[in-house]
Amino acid sequence: MRPFQFLLPALLLLFACCDTNKNGPTDTFDRGAMLQNFADNLIRPAYNELLDKILVFDDAVSTFHATPSIENLNAMQTAWQEAYFQWQFANAYNFGPAGEAGLQKGLIEEIGTFPASAAKLEANLGSGIWNVTDFNRDTRGFPAIEYLIFGSGATHEDIVTAFLNNQHHKAYLTALSENLADRVETVVNAWNGAYYTEFTNNKGTDAGSSTSQFYNEFVRSFESAKNFKLGLPLGKRPGQIQAEPQLVEAWYSGKSLECLRLHLTAIENIWYGRSKSGQDGIGFREYLEKVEGGPALIISTETQLAALRTALAAVSDSPALSVQITNVNPQLESLYTEFQKMTRYFKSDLSSLLGIAITFSSGDGD
Amino acid sequence: MKKIQFLFSRQWLDAPVGITPLVTLRVVLGAMLLFSTLRFMVLGWVADHYIYPKFHFTYYGFEWVSELPPSGMYAVHILLAISSLCVILGCLYRIAAVLQFVLFTYTELVDLTYYLNHYYFVSIATGLLILVPANRAFSLDAWQKPEIKSIQTPRWSILIFQVQLAIIYFYAGLWKINYDWLVLALPLKIWIPANDQLPLIGRLFQTDWIPYLFSWFGMLYDVTIVFWLSWQRTRLWAYGTVILFHTLTGLMFQIGVFPLVMIGATLIFFSEEWHTRLWNRLWKMIRSRRLVARPRPLEIMPVQTVTHRLIFAALALHFTFQLLFPWRYLLYPGNIFWTEEGYRFCWRVMLMEKAGTATFFVKDEKTGREGEVLNGEFLNPHQEKQMAMQPDMILQYAHFLKKHYQRQGLQNPSVRAEIYVTLNARPSRLLFDPALDLSNIEDGWKTKTWIWSDK
Repeated sequence: MRPFQFLLPALLLLFACCDTNKNGPTDTFDRGAMLQNFADNLIRPAYNELLDKILVFDDAVSTFHATPSIENLNAMQTAWQEAYFQWQFANAYNFGPAGEAGLQKGLIEEIGTFPASAAKLEANLGSGIWNVTDFNRDTRGFPAIEYLIFGSGATHEDIVTAFLNNQHHKAYLTALSENLADRVETVVNAWNGAYYTEFTNNKGTDAGSSTSQFYNEFVRSFESAKNFKLGLPLGKRPGQIQAEPQLVEAWYSGKSLECLRLHLTAIENIWYGRSKSGQDGIGFREYLEKVEGGPALIISTETQLAALRTALAAVSDSPALSVQITNVNPQLESLYTEFQKMTRYFKSDLSSLLGIAITFSSGDGD
Repeated sequence: MKKIQFLFSRQWLDAPVGITPLVTLRVVLGAMLLFSTLRFMVLGWVADHYIYPKFHFTYYGFEWVSELPPSGMYAVHILLAISSLCVILGCLYRIAAVLQFVLFTYTELVDLTYYLNHYYFVSIATGLLILVPANRAFSLDAWQKPEIKSIQTPRWSILIFQVQLAIIYFYAGLWKINYDWLVLALPLKIWIPANDQLPLIGRLFQTDWIPYLFSWFGMLYDVTIVFWLSWQRTRLWAYGTVILFHTLTGLMFQIGVFPLVMIGATLIFFSEEWHTRLWNRLWKMIRSRRLVARPRPLEIMPVQTVTHRLIFAALALHFTFQLLFPWRYLLYPGNIFWTEEGYRFCWRVMLMEKAGTATFFVKDEKTGREGEVLNGEFLNPHQEKQMAMQPDMILQYAHFLKKHYQRQGLQNPSVRAEIYVTLNARPSRLLFDPALDLSNIEDGWKTKTWIWSDK
């Protein structure tokens, strides 16, 4: 008797039997349910609400164009702010319909590149020639609009006057707000249509899977808050010889801190799988509960999230972030440090424990 | 005793055997390389890997190998594809084989980031192909020059590939014999549940015992598979598992063409009769007549030529290296998975789940101002991922940053890094002292005493 002749078929049989064994343990994680929760309670509502608020802003623009008054300027600014605050909840999903496609970059690059280039915008206003689809991404989207309606004059009166005196102001603002609405509407339509199914059905963890794309963009969103909303204006990059407060997000409106707070809330919501209204669902936290080493990472992550929250709460609402940077507020330094401490939990620990492939290149598992 | 002496003697190694296994291997390896090269170009990896990155990590001792301008990198790949095609067809074989080896190895040496054990194997296998007369049958060369035509080849020319594969499988299995792999079923406990979407068997991947089964089966499989493949009675079954095993790992992990390479290369263990039947059948399909297989003893490889001696010396050197080099890790203290000293070129495949977050700080020593580097400015995501956990790459990157920021006008910049690494789902910890100026540390064979313990 040759044992191997039985060993191999026996092994194959083992695989085959297991196939039909439906009594697996129930203590497993359903990635599909997590994706469903992300889609239903985070992504779709975020985009839908964003589009609604952008349309409200569009109306405010029309009203202002019809009657350029300080009152209508105020209304328009408030509408912009509402939409931009909502953008903080939608800026982490730059994949699928909001991802790169050919020459088009991710939605965040197309409508959220800050700071806007005042020089380019002024040149366009002067010449009356602009392009809302070229590679000058610092001349469109929220930040460019912000410049026109908050920054193109020293006072509210100056801004209204600019719109009254320069015919291009009006047309440019219309073009920019229409482009913003168009871009977001395209994404919203995709999410309310076929992409929703594509996203929730792609349940693997390979590069290109929904979980992998979602995770990568989540990390990118977190890092952009740290590096660009805080690090760069604080002068944290090698080669910067001083703080550069004018590089903060929402410099003209002075809403940088509010934006940062909302952005962090959005990041926390993804971690918990929580909707904007606070309804808890399945997120990365729940996923970690079911994997090797996960519980320990939940504790470290949430301890650090709390520290980050505390550090952010310690920064007072006024004056504006840029002014606090100029005044060298030490609390900003601590805030930055807490952001830095958070990075590894999100960036490498989480993906490693979940076994998510973050790049397409082949690997050895080393 | 006589018999054993004869075994592995010169005469035994030079004894003529059927050439068809070698022909199969020539075609299989050439085809793999052709496919892999075309795949690289189609996926846009030539640009992603070699053209876009502003910085390339180099192999120790091969720092002089650098990337070519974009047109050059594409030319290398196109030429590589052509030479592989020539190897398949057995056309201008030696030149094509040399080109294939040199060009492929060059693409590997350009950037350490993309080091993979199976690319290392492809380099070795294409190197060995240069030494063997694989073009003496079923080739354009033999058709053009009937005088080189032969149905036989010296035994060593087939044996070297079998021995090479045996080393790979055996070591790959041997390194699986460790606490994490066998007792904790790590990293499979992480990777298997992540693959629960595979058809049919995916559902099982959420069970507790599957990682253990796969760990133990994988270890036993790697250690013993060459034995089962060599034994005629078990060969077919064993090859069945080769297909099954590599297909499964291919579905589960992002390991590119590796499963195909192994499924193709292990055919070398089949008998010459099997290969001859295969080729006769293939030939019949093309030429609609049987190849005349007249066994004529050939005066292949006159035994005492200088070339022959040189080849034997080179092979002896190569296999001594193959056997000994993987053990160099014993000379380093600490956990090899953590320090990675002596990790590469040892057939340690799919052994650990490791990831790091690397934050580099560059300080202008004159002004005292320190800044944090955005790695994405210099590295692609794959480079950053690989660098963030491998000490020698961390050093290279630190040296690059020093030079880069010196050019940017920083005075005598120092470079430090805060690097947290997680290994097999353990909480991440610092790889070394974040205060350490890395720009003053040189890479080398010596123990990297600056790496902190993982304990």
